[in-house]
Amino acid sequence: MARALLRIARCYSPLSSPTPRLPPPLHRRASPPLRFLSVSLSSPSPAESAASSDGPSDVRKGEDGRSGWDDHLAMSDDELMGQCEMGTFKASGPGGQHRNKRESAVRLRHRPTGIIAQAVEDRSQHKNRASALSRLRTLIALKVRKPINLEEYTPPVELLQILPLKSTIRGKDAGPQIGPNNSKFAPGMQALLDLLFAVEGSVSEAAKILGLSTGAVSRLILSDDSLRIAANELRAAKGLKPLK
Amino acid sequence: MLASASASASFLPRPKPKPHLLKRLASALTPPSPLSPSTGADPDPDQDPTPLFLRPPAHPVPAPSLAAFRRRAAALVPPSAPHLHRHLRWLLADAAHDPDADPALLRAPLGDLEALWLRHVRDRRPFQYVVGNEHWRDLVVAVREGVLIPRPETEAVVEMVGRVEGFEAGWWTDLGTGSGAIAVAVARMLGPEGKVFATDVSEVAIEVARLNVQRYGMQDKVQIRHGSWFEPLEDLKGKFMGVISNPPYIPTDDLPGLQPEVGWHEPKLALDGGKDGLDHLLHLCEGLSSVLKPGGFFVFETNGNKQSEFLVDFLSTKWDSSFHDVEAVLDFADIKRFVTGYRR
Repeated sequence: MARALLRIARCYSPLSSPTPRLPPPLHRRASPPLRFLSVSLSSPSPAESAASSDGPSDVRKGEDGRSGWDDHLAMSDDELMGQCEMGTFKASGPGGQHRNKRESAVRLRHRPTGIIAQAVEDRSQHKNRASALSRLRTLIALKVRKPINLEEYTPPVELLQILPLKSTIRGKDAGPQIGPNNSKFAPGMQALLDLLFAVEGSVSEAAKILGLSTGAVSRLILSDDSLRIAANELRAAKGLKPLK
Repeated sequence: MLASASASASFLPRPKPKPHLLKRLASALTPPSPLSPSTGADPDPDQDPTPLFLRPPAHPVPAPSLAAFRRRAAALVPPSAPHLHRHLRWLLADAAHDPDADPALLRAPLGDLEALWLRHVRDRRPFQYVVGNEHWRDLVVAVREGVLIPRPETEAVVEMVGRVEGFEAGWWTDLGTGSGAIAVAVARMLGPEGKVFATDVSEVAIEVARLNVQRYGMQDKVQIRHGSWFEPLEDLKGKFMGVISNPPYIPTDDLPGLQPEVGWHEPKLALDGGKDGLDHLLHLCEGLSSVLKPGGFFVFETNGNKQSEFLVDFLSTKWDSSFHDVEAVLDFADIKRFVTGYRR
């Protein structure tokens, strides 16, 4: 399955076009592959969620010259799309009426961060665009770090919403706990990683600030594969052991 | 499931198709029956003009039988063709109310499904004709033999209409509407005063377009008229805010070289643009001034770069007094796919 899916990214109708122009190869993240929220557990595959970043993980300055941190995840789909270049996998040949091609991969490049998200597995380009956009949100959450001043820090509501109910700083108004399959998980995940980044990867420090036990924060991080991988990369950069 | 089937296909000698598959295959090699001139299989598993995905799920099939079908069907395509394995998944998604139920309720007898799959993988019948739809923009457009399958490039036409100032309230015409995909998509964006008049010379297209208009509840917004290009619009001259068309534009000499799914199965009527591919496009350009309001917009899809450049040059030099802002617009593959402009 994984191998078949790996080919999807380079898939073209083998019918009449001998040498399609393939997209430039994407950097694949080192194994284990990132799993994204919109991908079901049964089919984690790097091809389904291939992603890369041209830029460093804590992007401060976009190509458009704007400095400072933009809250990309707070943007509407249209606004976020406006910051993206959309590419599709170009087929060779004349296209249009000449061709019957059901595959409609979409590749989004987010200009301010250089993050690329793509989707290939849906039946229409329209849906692939929506999947790619939702993946882009996840990737932004995982890769773009907002600097935090710990002195004045209070966890944002997006973060409170993904915390388990036993957190002592979590008010009743935060509502039920939001899990990884909810689209609102991404902003919470971003805020959690921001905090973890600010405390240099220390789960126990983060746990104190979040009013939870170290074990509870670990479990939260481990509840989502992409969050776990991002947290462990962050910890590895600080010389800490990975959470398992 | 698919992976195991395709893996076994790569390790084992070619699996023996079941006898009834062989029979279907043999029948595919016999001369076409008069009933199904375009496909050459007999008996025709889809005499019913209702697209597969819209038929009632009235054929219970035990899960093991459906699983066996999946294996047989997957074994017919090489692992090196992942798009065909994906098509099999989509075929089952369209054919079964819930493919994982036991029994699964299919929209066609299992034998018909086998025949349909063979039509696709052996006869190169377009997958869209097999399942009777194409997912286009956010629509599921019903299609069948005799109408052009809407192409992903054409999706951009709807976006261009949406960028015309005041488009919501205008009257639009989609000439040669085919499945009606453009007409329905545009109609869904319009306000209460907006209307689309969709014309087509093909009776099959008229039927299919009518079905799609109904499926999306656009009967009040889309009026379908039977006839060639502008002919059915005599009473609406000068009334249109916009003219949209994806006419046949492939040069006749290029038709034999088309991919079999297109050349063998899609209607020549919707593909053949005459010697240079420009016959219909030029006819459409000539009619623009009489149907468009002053300031009205037009967008045509073309064969690509050369045709678009020619038309832009033609409209902005010869007919400079009639049009302005005529330009070629790129598709997602950076081909100059569309020509757009405004009437003065």
